[in-house]
Amino acid sequence: MLHTPSCCPSKRNGRAFRCIKREVRRRNSTPGFSRALTLVVSLLLCSLGAQAAGTPIPHGTLDLVAENQWITEGHDFNLGLHFQLEKGWHIYWLNPGDSGEPPRVKWQLPAGLAAGPIEWPTPRRLGTPSIVDFGYEDEVTLIVPMHADARLTPQGPAQFGAEVKVLVCREICIPGKAQLWLTLPVKSQAPVPDARTRDLFAAARKSLPQPAPRNWKFSVGDAKDSLVLSANVGHQITQAVFFPLAESQIDNTAPQKLAPTAAGFRLTLRKSAQLLKPIERLKGVLVLSADRAYLVDAPLSKPGAAKNIRDVGIYAAQSLKEGQQK
Amino acid sequence: MKRSTLYPILIALLLCTALPLILSGKTGEAAPEFTATASNGKTVHLSDYRGKYVVLEWHNNGCPYVGKHYNSGNMQKLQKQWTGRGVIWFTILSSAPGNQGYMTASEENAYLTKVQAAPTAALLDPTGQIGHLYDAKTSPQMVVINPQGVVIYDGAIDDKPTTDLEDVPTATNYVNLALEQALAGKQVETPTTRPYGCSVKYADSTH
Repeated sequence: MLHTPSCCPSKRNGRAFRCIKREVRRRNSTPGFSRALTLVVSLLLCSLGAQAAGTPIPHGTLDLVAENQWITEGHDFNLGLHFQLEKGWHIYWLNPGDSGEPPRVKWQLPAGLAAGPIEWPTPRRLGTPSIVDFGYEDEVTLIVPMHADARLTPQGPAQFGAEVKVLVCREICIPGKAQLWLTLPVKSQAPVPDARTRDLFAAARKSLPQPAPRNWKFSVGDAKDSLVLSANVGHQITQAVFFPLAESQIDNTAPQKLAPTAAGFRLTLRKSAQLLKPIERLKGVLVLSADRAYLVDAPLSKPGAAKNIRDVGIYAAQSLKEGQQK
Repeated sequence: MKRSTLYPILIALLLCTALPLILSGKTGEAAPEFTATASNGKTVHLSDYRGKYVVLEWHNNGCPYVGKHYNSGNMQKLQKQWTGRGVIWFTILSSAPGNQGYMTASEENAYLTKVQAAPTAALLDPTGQIGHLYDAKTSPQMVVINPQGVVIYDGAIDDKPTTDLEDVPTATNYVNLALEQALAGKQVETPTTRPYGCSVKYADSTH
């Protein structure tokens, strides 16, 4: 249902109509019965595809999808918000950067179900030299963990409602609102994954920043106009970009200066002009390469404290989920 | 080199390095001087308003965040309220020609009438010079300058960074707070916040 036939990417903008026209043209070169069959199958696929193309949002579509075929009392599960955007348009990360705002979801759930905070994939830097935003282009799936407690009983299907407010921007910004619905059976047997959404959830998981390996150490030094993120990872790092989780800690437009060290790196981040009080921790996502992004939660080194980089641990995605429940 | 020629050079060098630091338009620092053409045809020098409080409001009439404050009447109310108390209010248009929010003088005048806006003047900044002087990132970003010419507030208009009209009545307005506290002779409690909204549509804008 998710992968619309290539002939019919969307029913919006008259593309579905074009797809039918294309099929008619193709039909002319196919003889007899088989060409009629081709047409019927194509139209069927198109109508299925059109249904799955999702709820329209400005310059894109949004689908609410489930990872499992049904839900079961006591078994937590995942839903996904799958955004597909027209070329050039973007939506925002939890920290949107210098402008914009992240998508917000208001859930309407049956008794016994509770939505957890969104799991945010690693964002991209978007923007210009003077204004830098953090977000997603093309396509992104936001995973929403759901908790099912004992009140969930297998009496008829469960209906999930999600009211999503999303700001979609290119040169200009358009706020959109979509009401999505999804119905899932409730059964007493343990849930089984839905093959139709397997690839989508697999891709979404791959795009999430990972907890940093346990032996990696991070710390942050306060250097007047800058924060210096130091990392000890056991080997030299020559490429790193940091995405701050909190707004107004670092200047998003300032170049991040990387100094590789024998066992890692030091990354100099200019403080935001809006940062008036000293920070206690620096949280965010550290991107080392296209497929290596890690969650960082580094404490500020106290002046005069041991010069060793202290263990800072990993923040178990929890911090990334802060600020979501508005 | 004689001492008499060396000193002016040294002073000039010092000024050259120090000037950009002084004129960064950040809270607590001197508000950068500018000269602008208003939509009413007048030329405005910021320094002419020394001795008064000045509010700068970054504007783009196509931005939904700006729309929230104009469609709810909030911005017009603030403009009337504060200009009524002797505050100077400049609405600044830093959109480049061809970008959203760019207006000619007559278009802007028609707009001001239509929405019943009441700033002291709307300043046309199509080159983005004033916007960049103040490092304006978004519309509606707000700056408050005190009678001594010092920036006392720079940031968001309020604490609800959304496009929802229903958020206006419940929001804490930072411009009101800054002006009220400053007029009462108090320290501004929240001198800077993250400005929210649409990116300012400078000439280099791609989003």
